[in-house]
Amino acid sequence: MMAIRELKVCLLGDTGVGKSSIVCRFVQDHFDHNISPTIGASFMTKTVPCGSELHKFLIWDTAGQERFHSLAPMYYRGSAAAVIVYDITKQDSFHTLKKWVKELKEHGPENIVMAIAGNKCDLSDIREVPLKDAKEYAESIGAIVVETSAKNAINIEELFQGISRQIPPLDPHENENNGAIKLGKQTMQASRRCC
Amino acid sequence: MSPAHHQLPRLCFPPQPGQLTPEPQTVSTRERSSLGRSPLSGPEAGTLAMGRPEEAALLQLEEVFSATLARIDSLVLQPLLMLEPTDPQSRECLQLLQQLRKSSQQLWKVTEESLHSLRERLRHPDAIGLESLLLLDGADRVLQVYMEYIESYTSCVVTQAFQKAVKKRSDYWRSRQKALQQQLWGMTSEGSMDTKLAQVLCQPLTRHVQEYVSLLRSLRDTAGEHRPACELVAHATTLFENLQSFMRQALDQAVATQGLWRTLSSRLRDALYTPARRLLQDSQDMPLTVTPLRAERVLLFDDILVLLQGHNVHTFDLKLVWVDSEQNGCVFHLLTPEEEFFFGSKYRQDQVVWQWKITQAVCQALRGKKDFPLLGAGLESSKPPICRSMAYTFLAEGRLCQATYEGEWYQGRPHGKGTLKWPNGRNHVGTFCQGLEHGFGICLVPQASEDKFDCYKCHWREGSMCGYGICEYGIDEVYKGYFQEGLRHGFGVLESAQQAPQHCKYTGHWERGQRDGYGIQEDSDRGELYIGLWQADQRHGPGVVVTQAGVCYQGTFQEDKMVGPGILLSEDDSLFEGTFTRDLTLVGKGKVTFPNGFTLEGSFGSGAGRGLHAQGVLDTDALPPDPSSTCYRQLGLGIFPVESRWQGVYGPFRDFVHTGCPGDLQEALLGFHVQSSRELRKSQEYLCCESTQLDDSAGRMEDILEELLQHRDPEALQKCLRKALSNSLHPLGKLLQTLMLTFQATYAGIGANKHLQGLAQEEVKQHAQELWAAYRGLLQVALQRKGQALEEEEDTEARDRRVHGLVLPLMLPSFYSELFTLYLLLHEREDSHYSQGITNLSLFPDTNLLEFLDVQKHLWPLKDLTLTTNQRHSLVKDKCFLSAIECLQKVITTMDPREKLEVLERTYREIEATVSRVLGQEHKLPMDDLLPLLIYVVSRAQIQHLGAEIHLIRDMMDPIHTGGLFDFLLTALESCYEHIQKKDMHRSPR
Ligand SMILES: Nc1nc2c(ncn2[C@@H]2O[C@H](COP(=O)(O)OP(=O)(O)O)[C@@H](O)[C@H]2O)c(=O)[nH]1
Ligand SMILES: [Mg+2]
Repeated sequence: MMAIRELKVCLLGDTGVGKSSIVCRFVQDHFDHNISPTIGASFMTKTVPCGSELHKFLIWDTAGQERFHSLAPMYYRGSAAAVIVYDITKQDSFHTLKKWVKELKEHGPENIVMAIAGNKCDLSDIREVPLKDAKEYAESIGAIVVETSAKNAINIEELFQGISRQIPPLDPHENENNGAIKLGKQTMQASRRCC
Repeated sequence: MSPAHHQLPRLCFPPQPGQLTPEPQTVSTRERSSLGRSPLSGPEAGTLAMGRPEEAALLQLEEVFSATLARIDSLVLQPLLMLEPTDPQSRECLQLLQQLRKSSQQLWKVTEESLHSLRERLRHPDAIGLESLLLLDGADRVLQVYMEYIESYTSCVVTQAFQKAVKKRSDYWRSRQKALQQQLWGMTSEGSMDTKLAQVLCQPLTRHVQEYVSLLRSLRDTAGEHRPACELVAHATTLFENLQSFMRQALDQAVATQGLWRTLSSRLRDALYTPARRLLQDSQDMPLTVTPLRAERVLLFDDILVLLQGHNVHTFDLKLVWVDSEQNGCVFHLLTPEEEFFFGSKYRQDQVVWQWKITQAVCQALRGKKDFPLLGAGLESSKPPICRSMAYTFLAEGRLCQATYEGEWYQGRPHGKGTLKWPNGRNHVGTFCQGLEHGFGICLVPQASEDKFDCYKCHWREGSMCGYGICEYGIDEVYKGYFQEGLRHGFGVLESAQQAPQHCKYTGHWERGQRDGYGIQEDSDRGELYIGLWQADQRHGPGVVVTQAGVCYQGTFQEDKMVGPGILLSEDDSLFEGTFTRDLTLVGKGKVTFPNGFTLEGSFGSGAGRGLHAQGVLDTDALPPDPSSTCYRQLGLGIFPVESRWQGVYGPFRDFVHTGCPGDLQEALLGFHVQSSRELRKSQEYLCCESTQLDDSAGRMEDILEELLQHRDPEALQKCLRKALSNSLHPLGKLLQTLMLTFQATYAGIGANKHLQGLAQEEVKQHAQELWAAYRGLLQVALQRKGQALEEEEDTEARDRRVHGLVLPLMLPSFYSELFTLYLLLHEREDSHYSQGITNLSLFPDTNLLEFLDVQKHLWPLKDLTLTTNQRHSLVKDKCFLSAIECLQKVITTMDPREKLEVLERTYREIEATVSRVLGQEHKLPMDDLLPLLIYVVSRAQIQHLGAEIHLIRDMMDPIHTGGLFDFLLTALESCYEHIQKKDMHRSPR
């Protein structure tokens, strides 16, 4: 018997950094999300094995526009992880990323796993954000960091694998003795049984 | 009638030539056919028809008897009646003699009739059969007349009526003595005049019956068998033989009774004498010992049993005497409504006789007519029934003193259906067991003031109220709920009349007659609602008070007052924390949080003037008001654990299920239909029946369980549950109804307060769980009864799925209105901002709005804008994304959270479909595009109280959807709602 764990992941980052492209690549192994007819582009799921468990990522897209920024807390509340994306060719997007990290630290769920994706690494010749900066920053906040390319399918899987690894394994006792029903409480890491 | 049919009897009884009377032409078909069937057409009938010597003798006998009766009438009965009744005794005497004469006349009449039938028969022996004789054909009627005469006669004997009558006119009778002796046959010369008269009035009768018997016997012996006429002869013979025995016994009893009346002291005679009463057995003739009551004499009459003990006379109506069949040596046990005792005898034989006689006397008394021919020789069972229906008035001191019970009895005790009436007007109609009220019953108890009654409609157990009941105390108060040992216990609602000066309503738990445990008290006068714990009829423990004025507070209560630290929320959402005085002013160390976020912390006191006096620090630097601190503050959370809040409601259902749903407890649990007490008093009888009637219509437990077994696959189960929940006679429906009652009591009226939303929503979800548990319990019982394997224990997840997927949608409508009101109040402010937002946005033409919301131009459905000649795109309104808008508006048409979420999903699909249509290809919207479009659709859908909707959906949403698509869509909707509230949405169109 393998337990399925549902993990809510929200995508944060400036418009145009490639959030939707990353998810599209991850979920469908496809780059152009506009031709993917099966799933909505705002909410997607993908299940991947992780050790003895299956991790089902429930991926929530967010609107990147500045004026919707204040709505973000609704989207990241109850998230197990946040994928914060910047465009390595845009210094500004890295700045925005820092703002997101700060906000998450202050208002985000406790123990949220933060994964930083420096996207468009295929365009490293016009890079504005050095990898070193990103790595140092990520280390300082205890986040995962990878440079990705949704276009060339680089490090996409790894990004999510990294998240999986950071998710603390289920406490078996908690799993067994879950007699009391938690109603109305957001328990994001709900466990489901399957064969 | 067909000729063929006509011939049939002739074939059966071929007529003998010469013996058949020629048929006259005028005889009707009916008569002919009856003649044809008649036994007289046979050869034997022919012989009989010639006339037997017995018939002639009978004729003569009747002639003589008729003449004798006539003579007795004129010579004895008529003179006896010439009596001037001067006192009650002689009046009674006269009455009895009149009765005797009436009986005698009847006797004469019947004799004349018999005579007539004999003459007819002898005149036309061929045409008229033997069976036409009254003595044969009407033997039973003749017998009846004889028995009535005997009855009248023996009554005169017992009463010594002849003696008394003669004494009154002794001169007359002395003068008539000779004449009588000459004219009356059978009159002896010895003895007093009254004994002579007594003889004259009886002797001819006995002799006559004797003659009957001997003539009938010879008639019977000469006639062959198997013929109906012969059977009639045999029957009549037996009857008159029996009559002889009956007469002998009646006369013996009369003599014995008369003897008893003569020898008894006048006090005892006055107490016991009635003309109809007959002595059956006297312990002076056959000794008997009685324990524990030491009676020195026992008299068994035909209607009562009498124990004489010193000056005391104990009489027992035989109809209410039970002889315990269990033999125990030389004693036997007698049960009566109020006493029981043992009869014993030195000799086993005597004891057997007594027991037999009492038993037979009881039987006879219950049958209401004399055994014929002899006591104990009745045709019916010689064992008296254990269950009887009778009325009795209790005499002994105690609860039942002077009360009259009318109804069913068992072994000396009221048992079964009955009515118990006390002289003070108290009145109980219902079922009884072992002498006590048990089962459904209605009791009326008069109040001190004349025309008011307390009315208890309840289940009783061993004499006191137990189970569900409705009690009306005059017109002032009503209690509906559970009882135990006659006291309110468990869950119940006590409400004073609406028009009462101090209208009060308590909905909650009781313990031995007092409010105890979790309970809600509404005091309409003070506009206050207390939600919390009680002890010994007082508020005690954690509690919350909500007032109509808007002030709410929470704290710990002791002896009805709030003590120690607590919190208070004022109307303007200021929060006070600390200790309060009786008039709710903060004293001592405390803290005030103002709605704008400022806090004041320090020492408070009631100063000289009005208002709050404080010494402390006012913090104006505090963060902008955290919504969760004051205006959204929820009361009662955590202090009343939701699982145990309504134990008194869940408990009885759980117990009922645990004991296997016994049918006899069904009504005690579920209650019954209610009628107003006014109607009730009018016809109690009817109501008593009504409750049983209900048992049938309510659906017996077996049917209810069977139905559950039959509907277990998901779809059928849903239907079945829906039906059950809407039926208040179904355990599940009743449970739901009771829960609704508690919910309304807490959250409607004064309780419709935003600070109670948290309590309410967790309660609804708990109720859904309990309803599911109740269903599971019933199902297990149903399986158990069928001997089928029990359902496995569900894991939490499976249970949650059923509770949220199945039960909650079915039961939520029952709580929706109160619940939604709470959400509405809680989100009132945001909703009004949102409302302003959509009103403003509604002023925008479609394209303006799309632009205003920054929807990318290539997604605009301009094709949908059909324009009239001089219209421009920029003026058209309410045309774009119409399908999505109309879809979203349906969210308020259902109360089922899942259906609401499905509406949302369809709305999303509609938006996507419209965009795909515009683009000419399948298009999946990323959030950047979706959100502005969704805001557009939401603003156009103009759903009222969207905030309340969203929060209610979220709270009631199946947790299985958390993080999933539904959650995502709901969050998207919520973010639109939030966005629309923003200031920049209040800008007017350019
Ligand atoms: N070269 C390159 N372009 C990318 C990559 N990922 C996304 N893009 C492009 O960046 C633009 C914005 O991508 P999108 O996924 O919509 O970004 P979002 O606004 O963050 O969701 C699109 O034109 C993509 O084709 C990448 O890895 N490499
Ligand atoms: Mg995107």
